[in-house]
Amino acid sequence: MNILKLFYRNLTQGPSTVAFPFGPAWTPPKLRGRIRFDLPACTGCRACEQVCAPGAIRFDKTPEGLRFMMWHNSCVFCGLCNFYCPTDAIVQSDDWHLAHPTARMYEMAIRELIPYTACSACGTKTLASAPNPVGVEPPFSAEEIEQFRHLCPGCRKKALEERTPNHAPTE
Amino acid sequence: MTRFIQTLTDQAKRLATRSPWIYRINAGSCNGCDVECATTACIPRYDVERLGCQYCGSPRHADIVLITGPLTARIKDDVLRVFAEIPEPKVTVAVGVCPISGGIFRESYAVHAPMNQFIPIDVNVPGCPPRPQAIIEGVAEAIAIWRARL
Repeated sequence: MNILKLFYRNLTQGPSTVAFPFGPAWTPPKLRGRIRFDLPACTGCRACEQVCAPGAIRFDKTPEGLRFMMWHNSCVFCGLCNFYCPTDAIVQSDDWHLAHPTARMYEMAIRELIPYTACSACGTKTLASAPNPVGVEPPFSAEEIEQFRHLCPGCRKKALEERTPNHAPTE
Repeated sequence: MTRFIQTLTDQAKRLATRSPWIYRINAGSCNGCDVECATTACIPRYDVERLGCQYCGSPRHADIVLITGPLTARIKDDVLRVFAEIPEPKVTVAVGVCPISGGIFRESYAVHAPMNQFIPIDVNVPGCPPRPQAIIEGVAEAIAIWRARL
């Protein structure tokens, strides 16, 4: 009887083998795959570099700015960079099509540059990174982020104090 | 006679491209990638044998080599010996990030990463471990390279 059931199920449901590579493969929605880096959102806090166990993420100071580098061939796809990023500048997509010939080995990297800029208030050289949104109430608007991007750390602090005046502590 | 041998060789090549045999070398892997390699062959859901591949037990029968692990100092000589036994032409697939760059073990005194300073690697499948479909994708790429080489 059991074999008849099995026979019926195979007839109606077809083979259990997934069609890949001859057809599309199902991907779990939370799969941790290829890293995506959003340069305008990066605050340059380097938390991702700090938590990256295999050292796949690296920040280098160059004359032009702060260079972000990430190599998929060293990444273990643990998701810590995504977890600790305050602005979701670094996220993991569900793209797992990472197999490649060795000749394209070094194309599997992300190279971006956070450039230096002159502070719009005092004129000192500073990184044009997004402001850190942690603990900022109310949250930054898009215009404010652009405004803060061109301020040095000292002027950012001042601007932040002006933005949120010291309220009396509430109960 | 020479023409007959030529035809025979061509025919053998044509048939051989349809059934590459896979051999798996564990170069000090944590077994994560080995489990995924076994999964691609043993579980009907992924079934790498649809591509004509079959896992073989002897390096002398192999056409495609799957290497896992960061090539630890202790196992290096054995891996190189077994690798030398695999007949040419062979295609090497590095499964997981360990053989490609050393992954989490990079810059350790106990591993000789990256592996491609000792063994020529043709296809990389990054992941820790890569999912079975990604390994199948890598094997498919290796088969294409193997066809060109044969």
